[in-house]
Amino acid sequence: MADLAHAAQQSRQSQPDFVIKVQNVSKIFHTPSQADLSALTGIELDIRPGEFITVVGPSGCGKSTLLKLIAGFSPPSAGRILFQGDEVRGLNTRVGYVPQESKLFPWLTVEENVGFGLDTRRFSRADRARQVSQFINLAGLAGFEKYYPAQLSGGMGKRASIVRALAYEPPVILMDEPFGPLDAQTRMVLQDELLKIWEQKRQTIIFVTHDLVEAVALADRVVVMTHRPGKVKDVIHVPMARPRNIFEIHRQDGFDEAYGRLWNIFRHELNIGAH
Amino acid sequence: MSEEISQESRLSTSGKEAAAPARTRFSSRGLIITLTRAAIILGFLLLWELASGRWIEPFLISSPTRIFTSLISGFREGDLFQHSWVTFTEIAIGFPIGAIAGIGLGYAFGRSRLLAEVFEPIIMALNGIPRTALAPLFIVWLGIGLWSKVGVVFLLTFFLNFFNTYSGMRQMDQEYVDLARLMGVKGWKLSFKVIFPAISPYVFTGIRTSIPFAVIGAIVGEFVAATEGIGFFIRMSAGIFRTADVFVGIIVLMIMVIILDKIAEAVERRALRWQAQTEHVQIQG
Repeated sequence: MADLAHAAQQSRQSQPDFVIKVQNVSKIFHTPSQADLSALTGIELDIRPGEFITVVGPSGCGKSTLLKLIAGFSPPSAGRILFQGDEVRGLNTRVGYVPQESKLFPWLTVEENVGFGLDTRRFSRADRARQVSQFINLAGLAGFEKYYPAQLSGGMGKRASIVRALAYEPPVILMDEPFGPLDAQTRMVLQDELLKIWEQKRQTIIFVTHDLVEAVALADRVVVMTHRPGKVKDVIHVPMARPRNIFEIHRQDGFDEAYGRLWNIFRHELNIGAH
Repeated sequence: MSEEISQESRLSTSGKEAAAPARTRFSSRGLIITLTRAAIILGFLLLWELASGRWIEPFLISSPTRIFTSLISGFREGDLFQHSWVTFTEIAIGFPIGAIAGIGLGYAFGRSRLLAEVFEPIIMALNGIPRTALAPLFIVWLGIGLWSKVGVVFLLTFFLNFFNTYSGMRQMDQEYVDLARLMGVKGWKLSFKVIFPAISPYVFTGIRTSIPFAVIGAIVGEFVAATEGIGFFIRMSAGIFRTADVFVGIIVLMIMVIILDKIAEAVERRALRWQAQTEHVQIQG
């Protein structure tokens, strides 16, 4: 634990400005049956350590593709991505990834899922146990440690999936519409929890969503992307104070203004998308 | 948050309450099923006993009592135990080797696209051969002893395990592997902590469907050429019209398959307990 915090501090000192720099990144998918598909073009994005970034855009704009590039699942077709100063080549094991569906390992219990990422890192047994139980508690899953994913509700599975990515404390967490398939109430509860966890841990989060309210409510900055091929259309600062009250986010100072600006930009994208 | 949890636990308790009466209802229904089944089997045996010697020649169908006495005396005085042991040995050697080889190759095909692309048509063509037809060839290659039967058992086991494992590899959700790799898992740990668990339902299907085929392999091998083993015992008994002994051999084989399958089932249930979820935990409370 202490080692990890120390290491994180060190890396922050050596890379004080940006944890991620996306430089002129494009991605073209070559499909055998159809013409090449240009998913992203000329993406520029700088992300500071500890920032909560949300990415919004019309569906099919390459939001998820951007996350996959940062995670190193596939290389960009042009441009480069710097992670803590190093170019991302191959799998980027310094990020945590929360997929759209929970994708908990169904053969492992909640506890084993949450601890999964710790095994490849240097944690003593006691530290590991402490870390796992801390994150299980944070996720409100105490008492469900021995449950298998198939026994959890959608919301619980989601929480477990999120803390699985958080537990080994990667400096950056990528979230790909994690609350997409959930009902509105569960979503709000989970957004609230996510912010609470983040306020304690302050890992950098890049959170892809198609929900504008969610985008504003969670973010320090909202990245708005254009219709395909995706470009960064604008980046909006959300000056709302923290901690935020998700349940009454509309009443919070700064929400309306940020949301209004976002909607203005986004509206044009929807028009384009409607053609 | 806490509200949601309490709701969940309330849900699960109500689930428990609902499960209890359902189970008692199930067991009384189960009793009826068991009784009916026993009655049908008893009726059949009775009819068989009656028919034998009365309507049908005993050397054609023997009779349950004759079979039973032959079974007992076969084990007590005869060499039935020796024959069973020989057949069991053939399976005990050929089956694990075939299963492991099949699972291993299925895994390798799933991991290496090149390997799969090169060899898939070849394997498919080989699979088109009725494998028991190769038994005489194995006798020629490996002699009439143990190893020719091991070879046939291996062959029958291998393909079933290979196909099941390979189809598991192809249908596996790649996202599990990606996520695990992102969390820093690689090499053999990736195989044993992620890939094999992910495909384990397919692997177990392969193992369990191949058990009866392993026994078939041993028997076919023994039919072709052998000096001992249950297959030899059956063929020899049929040759001298000792029909009761033929049935004794069949019963021994049946028991062998059932025991092997029960063992595999127990292992499977243990390994895949994450699949058969809810009920277990509800019992735990």
